[in-house]
Amino acid sequence: MHAIQQQYWAVRDYLSPVLKESKFKEHGRITPEEFVAAGDFLAYKFPVWTWEKGDASKGRDYLPADKQYLVTRGVPCLRRATSLAYTDADEDAERLLSFGESSATGNEADEWVETHAGRKPTLDSAANPGVIDDIPDLDGEADGGLSDAMGNVSIASTAGATVGETPDLDDIPDMEEEDLEEGDDEATAAPKGGVSSSGGVLDATQVEVAKGNLLQVRTYDVMITYDKYYQTPRIWLIGYDENRTPLTPSQIFQDVSADHALKTVTIEAFPHSASLQAASVHPCKHASVMKKVIERMNAGVVEEQLAQRKAFGPGTPKENKKKWGFGRKGSGKDDKGAAGEDEEVEGMRVDFYLVVFLKFIASIVPTIEVDSTTAF
Amino acid sequence: MPVVQFAPFSSPVQPNFWHELTRMKIDVFRLSDEALTVNGSYSVGRSIRDRETGQDIALGCNLSIGGDAYEKTVQLSPMSVSASGTFKNFNTIEDFKGADKAALFNEVTSKMWDSIVNHKDTSVLSQFLLITFADLKKYQYYYWFAFPAFVSKPAWEISENGWKAADEELNSAQLASIHQSLHANTVPFFLVKVVGNTSEMGSVEKLDEFFANVPPESRIVGFLDPSALAENPGWPLRNLLAYLRLHFPAQTSSVRILCWRDSEVPSPGKSWKSRFGVVSSAEGDSATKPAAVGWERHPTTNKLSARVADLAPMMDPTRLADQAV
Repeated sequence: MHAIQQQYWAVRDYLSPVLKESKFKEHGRITPEEFVAAGDFLAYKFPVWTWEKGDASKGRDYLPADKQYLVTRGVPCLRRATSLAYTDADEDAERLLSFGESSATGNEADEWVETHAGRKPTLDSAANPGVIDDIPDLDGEADGGLSDAMGNVSIASTAGATVGETPDLDDIPDMEEEDLEEGDDEATAAPKGGVSSSGGVLDATQVEVAKGNLLQVRTYDVMITYDKYYQTPRIWLIGYDENRTPLTPSQIFQDVSADHALKTVTIEAFPHSASLQAASVHPCKHASVMKKVIERMNAGVVEEQLAQRKAFGPGTPKENKKKWGFGRKGSGKDDKGAAGEDEEVEGMRVDFYLVVFLKFIASIVPTIEVDSTTAF
Repeated sequence: MPVVQFAPFSSPVQPNFWHELTRMKIDVFRLSDEALTVNGSYSVGRSIRDRETGQDIALGCNLSIGGDAYEKTVQLSPMSVSASGTFKNFNTIEDFKGADKAALFNEVTSKMWDSIVNHKDTSVLSQFLLITFADLKKYQYYYWFAFPAFVSKPAWEISENGWKAADEELNSAQLASIHQSLHANTVPFFLVKVVGNTSEMGSVEKLDEFFANVPPESRIVGFLDPSALAENPGWPLRNLLAYLRLHFPAQTSSVRILCWRDSEVPSPGKSWKSRFGVVSSAEGDSATKPAAVGWERHPTTNKLSARVADLAPMMDPTRLADQAV
């Protein structure tokens, strides 16, 4: 069934026309040219992103041959999204709170229900600002713990299957060949314990497992492709655990916020490779979400540009016009297309599309640090 | 003085590599188990600040290998360099288990030593060895990496000052000029000559000419450091030091080392990540080929053993069908 579906998508993708005119402010959709422009900007500004050409036979002719998709490798993911989110597991932990005398009178209307009573507060404080999570969407309450449940189910079943059929090689003692190297080499840093505290840098394998909030450093390879049918970028994830073993789909879903796992994030064939499968955020809602975000940001950018124009007077070259809502300290300005900007207020440029897109993706996969742009 | 401890390479293998191996095994290698050359890459060491605890967490000293490994050149991300390796795929699990791994390893290290001695070649210094067995029906890939490193006797020692931040030794203008030349042309090993507020770069092969008439306190040997641990320089430095001791024994009783770890110039208020230290070693016998170590240890057991990548969950069509609801 899934295979048929994928075939159908492939055909639909093939048949749909390439978007020609820019619609990014009206619909949140972009043309391939704009995708390349935005990708160039992203790769220039944040060099962790690079263009890849992918499998030549899978190349898309509406994109330059050497700029088929964007990739960044080894994106760290310190915690599981499930440890951040409010899940159904503690939904029942409710208790009635009553305030003052009103409850003594038996007035039940003044009693409050505190949900998630058993949950420990996160360590947010002024000194230690933590991650501010998206407030979980109440519409999705039935699916809140789905990724949890799903994760447990498939882990159990795979364990059962693999133990029976294929013994894990790691457990076979005769694969160990300790005599291959004589003794311990004194100049090799031990993977554990050989870390000094003076530099304040911890080894990833040595990170303590905090109670109830597992700190296992996974890494992800993140790809951004252009989806011709939805005319938006599309994001793909390949994960590795702390021992650099590839993650299974259910493990990947642990890093996806509960609202999106198995609904918008699924395992699909990666379009620029013959056989690779990767987790992907389905792009059907990208355009409308991007439109909303862009509208909001555009208003801010236009306002700022107008304010600057007033401050400098007409005809003054505006060096700082790229400063925008996220407190980005521009180091090295983009110097393209400065002509004619005095005539009308330009608003947000399409170059920023992917930067904004990453911020939106960061809400779907909150613990994967895809949004390196916040470092600026 | 404490012995310098190097952070060993670890091996993230991208699933693409296994996909490509599956294709090559069926279409190209067939029953051949000839050794091939493959290419991987490593980049500067990275660390990430944990937003909840505020600690910096180092992200492993990685030499990664991807789907383009069988091609002549690999696509490199900024501030990374390629490393070539010998790759041998066995046809059966018995062959894989029974292979004379010590002999394979010796073959690779002999070749490395040979080109170091005879060709003064620095490009072989980060060579690796990879042996695999691909169980194509079960989508399981058994593999074992070795990153050969020559053991120095007597061992290199770090001076009392230890490893310190590079900006305590060099000013940020000098570091920025190193960054600029590395950004334009990323090389695994380089020499630095400090002249006023800039620094000139040279290649390690021409150490004698480059450092002629340069006072010792202005000479620096640098390398692209894949480690992010404060006290442990990365694995490539080991072979670089062996190389320096062999070819330039007069200059290497004490070496000023720059471990380059910055992929970009830090924004104002942040410090450089690169490290600096002075290592020294007593005279040793440099003529004979030193012993070598470097088989990768299993990350969970920390024993010398092969590993398996089980890609069935991501490749097996029946398993994928279960996943797709």
